[in-house]
Amino acid sequence: MKRTEFLDKVANDTRAYVQSLIDETQRLGKMVAELEIERDHRVAREAMLQERLDAIETESRKYAERYVEVEQQNTNLANLYVASYQLNGTLDRERVIAAVQEIVINLIGSEELAIWEVEEELNALSLIGSFGIDADQWSAIPIGSGMIGKVAETGSRFVVDEALFAPEDREESLTACIPLKLDDKVVGVIGIFRLLQQKPGLEDVDYELFDLLGSHAASALFCTSLHSRWAEQMQ
Amino acid sequence: MKKKVLLVDDSNTVLLMEKMILAKGPYEIVIARDGAEAIVKAHSEQPDVILLDVVMPKLDGLSACAAIRQHETTAHIPIIMVTTRGEEHNIETAFRNGCTDYVTKPINGLELLAKLQNVLGAGMAKVSA
Repeated sequence: MKRTEFLDKVANDTRAYVQSLIDETQRLGKMVAELEIERDHRVAREAMLQERLDAIETESRKYAERYVEVEQQNTNLANLYVASYQLNGTLDRERVIAAVQEIVINLIGSEELAIWEVEEELNALSLIGSFGIDADQWSAIPIGSGMIGKVAETGSRFVVDEALFAPEDREESLTACIPLKLDDKVVGVIGIFRLLQQKPGLEDVDYELFDLLGSHAASALFCTSLHSRWAEQMQ
Repeated sequence: MKKKVLLVDDSNTVLLMEKMILAKGPYEIVIARDGAEAIVKAHSEQPDVILLDVVMPKLDGLSACAAIRQHETTAHIPIIMVTTRGEEHNIETAFRNGCTDYVTKPINGLELLAKLQNVLGAGMAKVSA
């Protein structure tokens, strides 16, 4: 091969090679542009999915919180239903007293309680049921004496959490004292002393139970008296 | 499929409360009123789980728990103790006697349902989902 022919061939081959490199660069450039577009789409889609995920998580948290609230309300309603059912399900005095004790122990959460009835002739409270306390010590309380006597006198309940400061005449470890009322007349009192160790304090439902006990226990005890009088007359 | 729950308590108030909490779920309820009856019903009913009170007449919950654990046909049944005594040593005694878990009184519905689902396992979670 002549020298000029060889040089021409090298020049042609070089041109063809450069052209192929330019074509390849253009092809790759196009691919990069397409990939960049695709990447941008992906980023946008990911952002959208993340947003949706966040929204779903927020909604899910809300539902979980709502579920807890509803379940708590269900438990509270169950507490009130059970208490009411137990108090009004019998005409036997001992069973009503036992029901009050069970409600305080199992639903409110105290194993130290006492139930007194007003003895009008003696102007005193007379113990009719108790659990976890020295019954002899609390067998009779003059109306107006101490916090329990005052509750019987005034008809206003005492709850330690509601008191702005601890009254001086409050009986030791008394957590709540609930007047049992028929219409507006106090016919008895329930005293709740120490709460169970695992119960840190009174909850909203406990106050509802106090109200329920205040009215339903009074009428339940009154009904048992009426029933026993009626039974005596029938004999 | 419903899971059979044996409720053991001498208190009507507690039994009624437990029944109301479990009423919404896929549970079949069986009741016993003392520890001795609990052992008999654990054998005859073969419940999926037992909710067992501690202080009961005839035979207390701790003794009943130990007896249920000792018998071959009932040893596998999960037992959740229901106790008013939340002190650590009481809980330890309950576990020593073979209980699977415990709840304290006053019963919290959410806590009880969560512990039931926990002892009944993943299958239960699917049923209730």
